Amino acid sequence: MNNLKVFLNGIIKENPTFVLLLGMCPTLGTTSSALNGMSMGLATTFVLVCSNIVISLLRNLIPDKVHIPAYIVVIASFVTALQMLMQAYLPELYATLGLFIPLIVVNCIILGRAEAFAAKNGPLPSFFDGLGMGLGFTLALTVLGALRELLGTGAIFGFTLLPASTNMLVFVLAPGAFLTLGFLIALFNLIKK
Amino acid sequence: MKRLSSSFMNMVLSLTIIALVAAALLAFINSVTQGPIQTIKQKNEADGIKSVLRIDASEEVKVSEAEQDGFRLFSVSRADGSYAGTAVRSTDKAGFGGDIVVLVGFAADGEILGYQVMEHAETPGLGARAGEWFRTASSSEEKQVGSFSKAFFGKPDPAGNHNIIGMNPGTANLTVSKDGGDVDAITASTITSRAFLRAVQSAYNVFKGQQADAATSATAQHHE
Repeated sequence: MNNLKVFLNGIIKENPTFVLLLGMCPTLGTTSSALNGMSMGLATTFVLVCSNIVISLLRNLIPDKVHIPAYIVVIASFVTALQMLMQAYLPELYATLGLFIPLIVVNCIILGRAEAFAAKNGPLPSFFDGLGMGLGFTLALTVLGALRELLGTGAIFGFTLLPASTNMLVFVLAPGAFLTLGFLIALFNLIKK
Repeated sequence: MKRLSSSFMNMVLSLTIIALVAAALLAFINSVTQGPIQTIKQKNEADGIKSVLRIDASEEVKVSEAEQDGFRLFSVSRADGSYAGTAVRSTDKAGFGGDIVVLVGFAADGEILGYQVMEHAETPGLGARAGEWFRTASSSEEKQVGSFSKAFFGKPDPAGNHNIIGMNPGTANLTVSKDGGDVDAITASTITSRAFLRAVQSAYNVFKGQQADAATSATAQHHE
């Protein structure tokens, strides 16, 4: 029951994108289409779950003064492993996402959860926290990507829904990312009330 | 269990052990994935060369690789020994997002048979469309844009041409129409278009240079 609460916490109450406003860099940068957003979210989820478990297991073996460098080494190792595995076994996904994978290292959601949760809790709750936060992030990025893709190119996941005359290129570019994110956060706040 | 105290010894030990374990793990994964990654790269390159020369992917061909002025040239001959064309890998450093790497296929007379954008970091939805844009004629999508602009600005977009397949950089002016050339730039992506066309043009120059070299050395041999 408690684990379920931890899991849902990341998706709704403390959604990393819409509530904590963490990891804005990949959020704005990778959501030019629904597929890119979702893939980035899932890749981050993988690293988040792995690093949360390992850091929670190591939490008593890492002295306080060096905990940040230790966490960064753990996170960077998982990201590098993910990059190599993707390049070898999912080359198509790597072709679209390859540029953004190294950015996961500096995604503050991962370091933030390591600090705020995994360093204080056991492996099982940390696993659920990582999964919840990761899926909350994935959900947010997918919605953001889908909206930007629809408004900018008239398609969602590559399926064309709107005629080309309604396309507004600005939504595929950086300003569109800020606009869409702002409206989504406002909407999320409204729903949460 | 109590957390380890931050004594100098503990800090050095814990960081060293974590770094060692991480390094060992990554070395292992690297050794496992190195093979498949190399295979994929080679297969991509081989497939790319065939596709830009319009050769069926299943056909057996002989590829001889050469390097000239920092460009890589792949001369391809078919199984029966006839010349199929040359693919040139060309890079332009001044794309909107940095390097644009294209592979361009030329017939013996210099006609462009096909191209493929191998690496780029252009804007999604704009410059990133270079992979399709320069091989398609004005599509129905653009005609819609044309009528849209007619409704709002009173004049339609000029029906331009941005298909470089079949052009010969020796005779056609391979720059964007804004610069007086024969090719329409991608809408809102002139920088990408310029860089792309420069890459194609320099690929052609290298290809022609190699042909000239081959001709002179052949004549020289003939005179001996």
